[in-house]
Amino acid sequence: MARDADPALHVALAGAAMAAAWLAPQVLPDHVTRALIVFALHAIFVVSLAFTNGLTGVFSLGHVAFVALGAYTAGITALAPAMQVAMLPKLPAVLAAVHLGFVASCLAGGAVAAVVALVVGWPILRLSGHYVSVATLGLLVIVEVTLVNAKDITRGARTFTNVPTDTTLPWAVGALVLTLVVLGRIAASPTGRALRAVREDPIAAASIGIGVRAMRLLAFTVAAFFAGAGGGLYAHYLGSFSPATFGFPLTFLLIAMLVVGGMRSLTGALVGTALVTLLSELLRNAERGFAIGGVEVPALFGASQIVLGLVLIAVMVFRPSGLLGDAELSVRWLRPSRLVVSRPKESST
Amino acid sequence: MKKVLPSIAALAAAAVLAFGPATAPAQQPPIRLGALFCVTGGLASLDGPALAGAKLKVAELNAAGGVLGRKLELVVLDGKSDAATIATATSQLIGSDKVPMIVGLSDSDHVLAMGPIGQKAGIPMVAVGATSPKLPAQVGDNLFMASFGDNVQAAAGAEYLLKKLGAKTAYVLYDTGTEYTTLLQEYFKVAYEKGGGKLAGTDTYKSGDTSFTAQITKIKALRPAPQALYISAMPDEIGVIVKQLRQAGVKLPVVGGDGYDTPLLVEVGGAAADGVAFTTHSYMAPDGSAPVKKFIAAYQAANKAAPENAFAALGYDAVGMAADAIKRAGSVEPAKIRAALAATSGYAGVSGSISYTAGNRVPDKTVAVIGVKAKKLYLAAEIKPAFVPAP
Repeated sequence: MARDADPALHVALAGAAMAAAWLAPQVLPDHVTRALIVFALHAIFVVSLAFTNGLTGVFSLGHVAFVALGAYTAGITALAPAMQVAMLPKLPAVLAAVHLGFVASCLAGGAVAAVVALVVGWPILRLSGHYVSVATLGLLVIVEVTLVNAKDITRGARTFTNVPTDTTLPWAVGALVLTLVVLGRIAASPTGRALRAVREDPIAAASIGIGVRAMRLLAFTVAAFFAGAGGGLYAHYLGSFSPATFGFPLTFLLIAMLVVGGMRSLTGALVGTALVTLLSELLRNAERGFAIGGVEVPALFGASQIVLGLVLIAVMVFRPSGLLGDAELSVRWLRPSRLVVSRPKESST
Repeated sequence: MKKVLPSIAALAAAAVLAFGPATAPAQQPPIRLGALFCVTGGLASLDGPALAGAKLKVAELNAAGGVLGRKLELVVLDGKSDAATIATATSQLIGSDKVPMIVGLSDSDHVLAMGPIGQKAGIPMVAVGATSPKLPAQVGDNLFMASFGDNVQAAAGAEYLLKKLGAKTAYVLYDTGTEYTTLLQEYFKVAYEKGGGKLAGTDTYKSGDTSFTAQITKIKALRPAPQALYISAMPDEIGVIVKQLRQAGVKLPVVGGDGYDTPLLVEVGGAAADGVAFTTHSYMAPDGSAPVKKFIAAYQAANKAAPENAFAALGYDAVGMAADAIKRAGSVEPAKIRAALAATSGYAGVSGSISYTAGNRVPDKTVAVIGVKAKKLYLAAEIKPAFVPAP
């Protein structure tokens, strides 16, 4: 993304995104704004997932565990003190003493997720291939069981509610821009190249002095931080959630978004998230039934899931590496010089 | 242009003739009721029948002339059993579809995703099947429940054990995986001890478990043996649990809540389900009361299947209650509907009589206790518990 560095353009793009995010809630209906917030949050999860899964080739199925840890950390620390006493009477004193604001609680969510990733990643990341996937899946299950059983801290399976709903569209988009910038910078740096080297051939990478496990651990931990912070934002968006919110359905949704967009590309993750979100929003509104030219199409609930499944299959068949594959969306594509190369006839007019 | 004008005039004249004063009330736009149900995902087995019940009531009301001289129309959105989708859909119903009120949802988590949005917009909501009695306090004065609270059904279960079965000691087994099963057993313990019962112990499992051997071994080893089991379970597990209990030779009566109320109990449990009893909203069988019989026949005609469970009746009643409130409010203004809903008194629903007393937005309802004998359900008791634990 930053390989063809044109910082001014990137800053302008980020500025435009922020301006749009600030403007959108004032002109768009509330439910569209909400869909956009959910899109931005999902994009944070998927982009950070692309960072581990795509760059290092460590296919983690446990990403949602970090989202859950971030959400619960942010939720617990951001509860109003009186509410905290009412909802979590047996909260350990150490935790009960911590009261954080909106941003701080999200950052704390990220930090907790990162620490857990570091501790868990150390043993797990010695594995590779399918073994990592299974081990990270285990992590997801362990985190869920822990959340359900740590009743004094999390309310167990019962709904965790009354989290202040502070996540607005500018916050969500701002966090997404930040995620893209930071992860994009790392991906384009020498560290990023080392990460890719580890993905392509661990043995060759090790032979030129790249620490395979350290590199994987780095990517895993950094991605977990963004997933956790995003989870904090998600908690502040939903206001109420339970361990079931962060289960397999969310895991599979994120992976579908990642696979559609292109696993090895951060902006591909963004495109995949946008496409799946757009498609499921359109289908969600279509499946309630509508009329075309006097023909009444009846409500067909569940159609959106079926179509999404078909899209996933189609992408796997026709573009197995996702829509963008290895490529990154780039401002370079917008330049006239590129247009001349790709479409000389049009640009000449 | 000259040719067009007269034909427009003729069309207009024809329109006046066709839809003239005689049918003027029918020209009024229908009253649009927001209907938010999770017809896909984990809660589909409860929300699906609830939506079918809601649709049936709308059809019946419209056949009888509608409400305030206007037809009713359900604006149905799927919540997909996902909190974020439910929040978006709620906002869509209120902001784009401009519905004056919303009915729907059977899960407490889902109601908490919908509630704050409707509350902020001042739109009254009727939660169809969610049973956590804490919901109205958690959401605010625009949330009403169509079903009794878990504290009431747990108290009814305790009373049934103590008075009908004469079981003075009970052992509790519950699912730690859901809010509903956790709350239900807490309320049960309070009510059972208050009524003079003695708890022999508690054990847990988690939704999705398939073997309950460890828990059953513990129950068998209890000395003195308890006189009954109270099992707070979800539909998927209860059939398996009773089957494994009976196979292990435990013949104790088993009592639980409305999570048992799906065909799964008898389908999976088979003959082992004998001696099981559960508290629920209504006894949905052909030998039930007259309104229930009428409801079952109408549901059968509309859906080509008998009501799957009591949630069908709850969906039917939620729409009926909403229409009743709109009628009494004489208006489709949300604030007036809210006031009329709060004043609901003695609304005769299929799932029982619904009243909101003393500012309470959880209805006072009679609890049906249903027993199983030879793979058949029967109405074992109808209980309005004397003591109800605080929510």
